[in-house]
Amino acid sequence: MLSLLASTFATVFLAELGDKTQLAIVSISGTSSRPGAVFAGSALALVLASLLGSAAGGSLTRVIPTDWLQLAASAGFLILGLRLILRSGQGDALAASAVEADEVPPGS
Amino acid sequence: MTTPDPSTAASSSESASTASSIPGSASPASRPPDPSPGDGAGWLKVFLSTAGTVFLAELGDKTQLAALLLAAESGRPLVVFIGASLALICSSLVGVLLGRWLSSLMAPQQLERAAGVLMVGLGLWLGRQAVLHLAPTAAPPLL
Repeated sequence: MLSLLASTFATVFLAELGDKTQLAIVSISGTSSRPGAVFAGSALALVLASLLGSAAGGSLTRVIPTDWLQLAASAGFLILGLRLILRSGQGDALAASAVEADEVPPGS
Repeated sequence: MTTPDPSTAASSSESASTASSIPGSASPASRPPDPSPGDGAGWLKVFLSTAGTVFLAELGDKTQLAALLLAAESGRPLVVFIGASLALICSSLVGVLLGRWLSSLMAPQQLERAAGVLMVGLGLWLGRQAVLHLAPTAAPPLL
């Protein structure tokens, strides 16, 4: 039982390291001011997904149209990414106008 | 556009350099307004958008399903589920900590741009995979 627990843990953890999901979590947490919310949301989503996965097993692809879900996820990634890029551009404009208006105040 | 104004180019590069040298001065400009007003709503928004994106991306993930399926052949789905859940929680904790660490290293605007480019890239790649699965005849396999 303990060895099964350990082997499942190791397999899933290693498979998940550097996965697209983790890259997304790194991006969201690095650019958000609420790491707690990011952690809670991603942990809950991952646990729910694995619950569904282990409950349905191999028949999940017949129950749920995973390709369409992936398409929806890709749209979500695109929206989040474009919003981040737009925000960084706005930040640049704000910083530039601040620099033009007056000299940068000395750092605290 | 064909002839970029040298003054604006200089000022934008200057602002980028000052932003990286003095992160404290740049953070209020690009960070969302402080969480104090409407804190719960903002938290919920971040929570829901993270949960939705991660859930959708993870649900169709083949490697995870394969790992779960392999482990479940032992006939103890509960143990498998607990082990997988612990692993996933740990990996998302690693991701969050990595993101925090990066945000302490880089200027917020640079990090936002890099993260945005990364997520657009992930989105395009995910979308391509899904479209190839949905319409395999549209693009013949490269074999």
